[in-house]
Amino acid sequence: MIALGQQIENKFLTAVNKKSGNNILDCYQCGKCVSTCPVSSFMDFPPREIMQMIKLGLKDETYMANSMWFCLTCAACSGRCPREIDIPRVMESIRHLAIEENVNPDDPHVKNIRKFHEIFLDMVRRYGRNYELRMMAEFNIRTRNLFKDMHLAPKALLKGKIPIGHEKVKSAKAIQRMFKLAEKLENTK
Amino acid sequence: MTKLTYFPGCSAHGTSEEFDSTLKLVMKSLDVEMEELPDWNCCGATSAHVMTENLALALPLRNLVLAEKLDNKTMGIACASCYSRMKSTKVEMDNHPELAKKINSTIVEEGEYKGDVDVKSMLQFFYEDIGTETIAGKVTYPLKGLKIACYYGCLLTRPKNITQFDSPEYPMSMDNIVEALGATATPFDFKTECCGASFSISDTEIVLSLSGTILEMAKESGAHLIAVACPLCQSNLDMRQPDIAKKRGKKFDLPVLYITQLMALAFGYPLKDLKPSKHIIPIEQALSHIGEEIATPEVKKKPKKAVEAESEVE
Repeated sequence: MIALGQQIENKFLTAVNKKSGNNILDCYQCGKCVSTCPVSSFMDFPPREIMQMIKLGLKDETYMANSMWFCLTCAACSGRCPREIDIPRVMESIRHLAIEENVNPDDPHVKNIRKFHEIFLDMVRRYGRNYELRMMAEFNIRTRNLFKDMHLAPKALLKGKIPIGHEKVKSAKAIQRMFKLAEKLENTK
Repeated sequence: MTKLTYFPGCSAHGTSEEFDSTLKLVMKSLDVEMEELPDWNCCGATSAHVMTENLALALPLRNLVLAEKLDNKTMGIACASCYSRMKSTKVEMDNHPELAKKINSTIVEEGEYKGDVDVKSMLQFFYEDIGTETIAGKVTYPLKGLKIACYYGCLLTRPKNITQFDSPEYPMSMDNIVEALGATATPFDFKTECCGASFSISDTEIVLSLSGTILEMAKESGAHLIAVACPLCQSNLDMRQPDIAKKRGKKFDLPVLYITQLMALAFGYPLKDLKPSKHIIPIEQALSHIGEEIATPEVKKKPKKAVEAESEVE
């Protein structure tokens, strides 16, 4: 029961503010971010609503949203926000918090986006650089969509648009150690 | 002779090889010696900062530390995404010494970050360090008659506090360079809209939608071709163009060229040096407009001075 006049701490708001270095309470819901965002129509809650959800402490609903996974970090919104909130940074913070707490939205788009980023980072961990062709191939295999973009392959491969070979860094060990140490930092926060 | 540390990024050694090769030609003409950063690694691109906090800073930081071992004061970065990651990391490290120390602990062999190397996109380097007058002075084959929509994408000018370059809403640096080459830059309102970036692979529909609108607007501006300075923008607008055309039921026939390809052409290099075969949308037809008279000059553009005054206010 909530007693009148009693302040309830909004732990979610505090956590997002701390991680993002912004004050979400600054948002006065003008919606400029929504009209600016190129992908707001793909999100189940556009940025303005996400801001309000954080203010209301709706942690689970925010974590289950696909919005922060669709954010392209294009920073069009933050450039126009009259309250100067770094919205991409806020999106990033709730995404990182959701990852830390191991929440996985069921949205198939989010699953594909996550898989892509995991494969990309795997390439970097292995070679120190991205290996574009292998990344695309692995993405098709791991999303069980073998023929995705195959109609582009003859043109792209024959024209040398997508090279078949790849490069790697000489100090591959240093990169692998960096991945391990960075992971450790991530866990000791 | 100006010296510059060169960070190509994975794409310049992969899908955007023609960016890398024409950049080298252009720099040769401009008397700039480029020293490629030895043993550079991937900046982590979108994926590192989407998934992790520390790795997203550690990967670019290693490159910044390596760059400090060379004598050059500036590192020029070909790819817009690499530039964004590297510059963001630099700003973050310079403003938060505690964080810098923490992230530096993941880079064991390379040494300490000092922060004495500047990071610039190649567009910024051309505009600020070389200047449009010098560029115009190197032109032997003016691109007169060619109408170009200059597309900057998100990361070359945004966020303003990170890039500290040009206008985040209506930049003009590339337009001014293109005009220095003798071509006409068309008024193009979608020059900083996002193309959909890495969703090209993970959620292609988004790229078809976003890049589609950009192509429509570029076509409407009367352009013969689109100029870019980002490998991902180039591949989304070029490689995905046939699919977009099919979906929208119209042909765009808008080739997408790197600004360095246009510079190389204007500096007198032959067409074959632009590697036309790498383009999905052929470039020859558009380039045949060179030499044509433009009957009605397209105006309604902000004059250069107004843009400068505006960026000073900001």
